Amino acid sequence: MPREAEPSQNEKDFILKAVREGHRLDGRALDEFRQLDLKFGDQYGVADVTLGKTRIIAKVTAEVTVPYTDRPFDGIFTITTELSPMASPAFEVNRPTETEVLLSRLLEKTVRRSNALDTESLCLVAGQKCWSIRVDLHVLSHDGNLIDASCLAVVAALRHFRKPDTSMEGDTLTVYTPAEREPVPLSWLHSPFCITFSFFGSISVGEDGEEKDIWLLDTTLLEEQLRVSSCTISMNKHGEICQVAKPGGAPVEAVTVVQCSSLALQKVKDLSDFVDQKLAEDSKHRNKGGLLAELSAENAR
Amino acid sequence: MPLDTSTYNLALLRVDGRRWNELRQQKGQLGVQPSADGSAYLEMGNTKIQCIISGPNERDLSKSTSSASTAPTSNGAGATVAVSIMIAPFATVDRKRRGRNDKRLQEMQTTIASGLAATVQGQSYGPRSTIHISLNVLSQDGSLLACLINAASLALVDAGVPMTDYLVACTAGSTSSYAAADEEADPLLDLNTQEEQELPFLTLATLGATDKVVAMVCESRVQLTRLEGMMATAADGCKGVRDFLDGVVRDKGELMVQEGAIGRGEVVSSMDLD
Amino acid sequence: MPITILQPSLAPPPKLRNVDSDSDSEGGADLEGDVAMGRPAKRARTQDSSIMTPGEIITDDPQWMRGHGTYIIPGASSNTILSSVAGTLAKTNKLLSVRPLRARYTPEIGDLVVGRIVEVQAKRWRVDVGGTLLAQLPLSAINLPGGIQRRRTETDELQIRTFFSEGELLVAEVQQLYNDGAAVLHTRSLKYGKLRNGVFMSVTGTGGGGGVVRARRQAFTLDISGTDEVSGSEKIDVLLGVNGYIWISKHIEGEGAAAETSGPGITRIEESVGLNVYSSQNDIIPVDTMREIARVRGVITALVENGLRVDEEMVIKGYAEAVEMAKEERDSADTLWLGGERGKRLANALVGR
Repeated sequence: MPREAEPSQNEKDFILKAVREGHRLDGRALDEFRQLDLKFGDQYGVADVTLGKTRIIAKVTAEVTVPYTDRPFDGIFTITTELSPMASPAFEVNRPTETEVLLSRLLEKTVRRSNALDTESLCLVAGQKCWSIRVDLHVLSHDGNLIDASCLAVVAALRHFRKPDTSMEGDTLTVYTPAEREPVPLSWLHSPFCITFSFFGSISVGEDGEEKDIWLLDTTLLEEQLRVSSCTISMNKHGEICQVAKPGGAPVEAVTVVQCSSLALQKVKDLSDFVDQKLAEDSKHRNKGGLLAELSAENAR
Repeated sequence: MPLDTSTYNLALLRVDGRRWNELRQQKGQLGVQPSADGSAYLEMGNTKIQCIISGPNERDLSKSTSSASTAPTSNGAGATVAVSIMIAPFATVDRKRRGRNDKRLQEMQTTIASGLAATVQGQSYGPRSTIHISLNVLSQDGSLLACLINAASLALVDAGVPMTDYLVACTAGSTSSYAAADEEADPLLDLNTQEEQELPFLTLATLGATDKVVAMVCESRVQLTRLEGMMATAADGCKGVRDFLDGVVRDKGELMVQEGAIGRGEVVSSMDLD
Repeated sequence: MPITILQPSLAPPPKLRNVDSDSDSEGGADLEGDVAMGRPAKRARTQDSSIMTPGEIITDDPQWMRGHGTYIIPGASSNTILSSVAGTLAKTNKLLSVRPLRARYTPEIGDLVVGRIVEVQAKRWRVDVGGTLLAQLPLSAINLPGGIQRRRTETDELQIRTFFSEGELLVAEVQQLYNDGAAVLHTRSLKYGKLRNGVFMSVTGTGGGGGVVRARRQAFTLDISGTDEVSGSEKIDVLLGVNGYIWISKHIEGEGAAAETSGPGITRIEESVGLNVYSSQNDIIPVDTMREIARVRGVITALVENGLRVDEEMVIKGYAEAVEMAKEERDSADTLWLGGERGKRLANALVGR
């Protein structure tokens, strides 16, 4: 199995020493995110997230299928992740690495299990027809913090997505093309975001030698290789935790975890506002002049 | 789903008659499999786990256990910890066979492997050797991850692998669902399956009796304000579990001393040098 | 064979620990009172027990040095020594170490080990000796057939499998240790080499717990006086590998353990290292000898099952006892079996319980 090249001992020592003194290689503060950018595609349901050098594309598609027999009133909602060799030589096709399994599990827990998307609203005819919503996530470039960026991309894409409108008359189900009826957004309940804290051991502060854990937000790939453990907290802006995962690694004080969770809330609010603002910009852009312009008989000539 | 726990407020007793801060009945045994390098059997309530350890030895990882999750100890300078979980088809009420590539299992394996890697002092073994931990779930009734971690810890002690402390884990839940914002919610300790399905809960693994969090997994929606209470409860549960595991190990050790299999230890309490 | 139904014996009552820990297992973390809430002062050591468990503080006196099975918290300025394994404490002058209740074998220079070849490489074999890493046996560290003293040539490398191939057993001595704890073996003595004409068994090795202990003699010859239908002429060799691997075989004059004492000196090595030392063919073994080999094996199994140490004295005494037991009950057919109740009786007779 190919592996990411290990950083040399010099690099390790340098970065760790700098982090202990409160500096990072790219000059950010310890709790600062890299430049975050979110673009939507021409189609509905395409989100392109750039976080520093990490770039992720999420694409949402919908189709009408038969619901699972054990859940006749629910639609189908799946998230698939693909970490291709394009993003990093450590990834292989058709062989999920541990990173990929953890990433897809985290997204699953954050978005799907927390009921961010109301799957009952996807049901068309109970037990016979329902919408199947599928999110395909592609990592185009991997420079750390995949989880936070992926989660943002998935949420943004789903909120941007419009599915074709449908109607039921008697026993006939009609699915309208975008020309006939304006597509409708998904029934979205809340927007969860992931915040990953990376821990780098502890330093003693003050005279009494009290230990304080050092953590970073939005780590680059290099920093991620050096961290001793990580903790991902998923939350929405209402302060509801959707998922917490600290998968092993070096121990941290329980107090630190609690502190991190309240800090995560602030960051989630920032991210939430950011996505709201971008969505508003996009809909404004799409809807130049509003409905009136579209209805006007006057043509551009 | 109707909440069975809705009766909790009446008598402050849970579905199985425990109070909020009570652990379930625990049973533990060391060395259940003499041919293995280390083995343990652990029951927490109706969750029953058997753990078999082979190693540390030098065995080809890719050949033997492709489905195991691995994690290197002491920054890659020590032995590797490889964990594989097998859930018996009869472990749950509805009999079903699980695929080997169940992502949920793989996630648990990774959590256990890297959690144990943080406590095992593997530098004395060298990076080429591997500790294979195979966990068999014989019966499943809540707190599965916690029980798996505890069983693996116990088996590692039996195998004589040096560790900083026991890695112990426990679950804690909260009596209110995420929707109800009432402040009256009680935390609950050590949940069974029924409670796990109804209530938000988290699994916390700590290093021995300290407050150091090695692993933490929460998969349900819960108010941020609840988190601290649940963590404190779980951490206290971990202390209880540690004391229990320690008791099992001591009993076994004393038995071995009595039987004469090992020499009696010297006592340093006097602390005098001749 | 008549079926005997044994009286079922009662399971031993569960041992109750002191009241304190008993409440732990049931009550768990009792948050009601203030008692458990406070950070528990690192467990006070129980007075009656000398068992150390991981994470337990051994001492915070700076005059002690830490040995195996212990650690200090890195970075912390305190001199607290903690245990990292479950076991008993051992003092050597100022050195504190904890002997684990059970552990894998850790090689030391000079150990006599029995091993199994798992891999054949170009110039060496990789040998499983039950340790944490495979041991290696270089081609240059074996005796050539006929005892010829010369450099190993390419021809030797090409026919490396004629000496030892995968799965074969050998007895060797640990010559050297690498930094990571891996052992290098040698068989350059008449008492070492390929094993045949016997049976292999594996018990716990040195490192903790019962099993084989390091002793003055790891290899010895047993006179099988046996039950009286056996003539006293046959002998059995027993090799107790320090790593817990044991080889019990028919004794052949001039070979094996006996050669250690009665064998020729280094000057006559050519004559004594026969051409068939690397043969994988067993000699003809009389049925009586086979049965006595099986009996010795049964004795060792019984010793291990009952938590007794395995060394020369115990095996010889145990064997004599087993023969006595067999003589007493001549009529029953399964006299070789030494498990369960019979094994316990044997063990009790040995330690005088």
